[in-house]
Amino acid sequence: MARVAALLALAAVTGTAPAIAQNQSATTSMPVIGSAPQICALQPPRMAPGAQTNFRGLSGETLQIDQMADSTTLAANAASASIQFEAVCSFPHRLRLESQNNGLWRTNELATIPTGGFTYAVPYRAEVSWAGVNTALDADALSRRVSDRRVTIDRPGAGTLELRIEIQQGASNVRANAPVIAGYYGDTLRIVLEPQ
Amino acid sequence: MARSLTLAAGVLVALSAGSAAAQSATDTKSFTVTGNVPALCSGGTIAGTGSTFDLGVLIDTTTGLLRTDLAAPPKVLTGSFCSSRSTITVNATPLAAQNFTATAPAGFSRTVDYTATASGWTPTAATFATGAGSNPGAVQTRPTAFSGDITVAIGTFSTNGGSGLRLVSDTSYLGVVTVTLAVAN
Repeated sequence: MARVAALLALAAVTGTAPAIAQNQSATTSMPVIGSAPQICALQPPRMAPGAQTNFRGLSGETLQIDQMADSTTLAANAASASIQFEAVCSFPHRLRLESQNNGLWRTNELATIPTGGFTYAVPYRAEVSWAGVNTALDADALSRRVSDRRVTIDRPGAGTLELRIEIQQGASNVRANAPVIAGYYGDTLRIVLEPQ
Repeated sequence: MARSLTLAAGVLVALSAGSAAAQSATDTKSFTVTGNVPALCSGGTIAGTGSTFDLGVLIDTTTGLLRTDLAAPPKVLTGSFCSSRSTITVNATPLAAQNFTATAPAGFSRTVDYTATASGWTPTAATFATGAGSNPGAVQTRPTAFSGDITVAIGTFSTNGGSGLRLVSDTSYLGVVTVTLAVAN
């Protein structure tokens, strides 16, 4: 009988006490979820303050040289400009600099190569600083083709992408200081932030 | 005369004896009936479509910055009750990137702060801001028993570290809001 009584007493304790403890507080949890997809974005360009020589400035996404050739020697004039883009890539990525023509080429003369020692394409250099990485593309104008430079960046990047375009005095695809043949010259430079 | 007296006495005796027997059969005792109702709280159940606050895409995909229009419908806890004086406590953890666990690189953050509120239980809603150093309003006390709905909401989102930081890419950002009803002493 003593054993039975003890068992009953134990049952009463174990059956009652936890129920009270459980119900003296009640907690409800609600998860909060979201995601941040992989993105790369470049905002429209703007001129870096006080950083251009012999350029007329930026019109939309066009950068126009003011005086491309010296009026006396007809050699290419030096020119330089710095452009900034607000940019972000939220994941490890790749920067690609791509020159459509590998230099400044006459836009209305696609195949004819003039004779007489004239410069018919003007080389330039594009330097980029982005996410702690500096790189450059030399568009040497030795042949008309797509040329590019690719850099792997193993981390996200955010901030300002700096682009500097520089044309050397007397730059030529023939010889230094060769006179530049008349024409309208141009190139398309692409800056691409993309997955690796 | 004498006979009749005896009879009468007998009757009296008999009546007297009968009366004594009836009193002992209807004796009265008093018993005290007692019980107690322990103080209880129940958190109720979440009405509607699940318990998750789903914010979707957290960033403006053209800038990488935290969206300024982030929102999620509030959750309603129905059938909540406490049978005594009680407290309601709201707690929350920041939304944190679950896969990108390293320190965020310069210009980035991997955490989003927000404010969680639980209203309907007390005159002043319990409030918890994940970015705050302290949250004195996170615990509110109700002096009486109560049964009713509790509305839980989140808002006032901000990028931890500053609004100019972008969020690192991650498919899973996760935080948790907890609401606790407890018996108060």
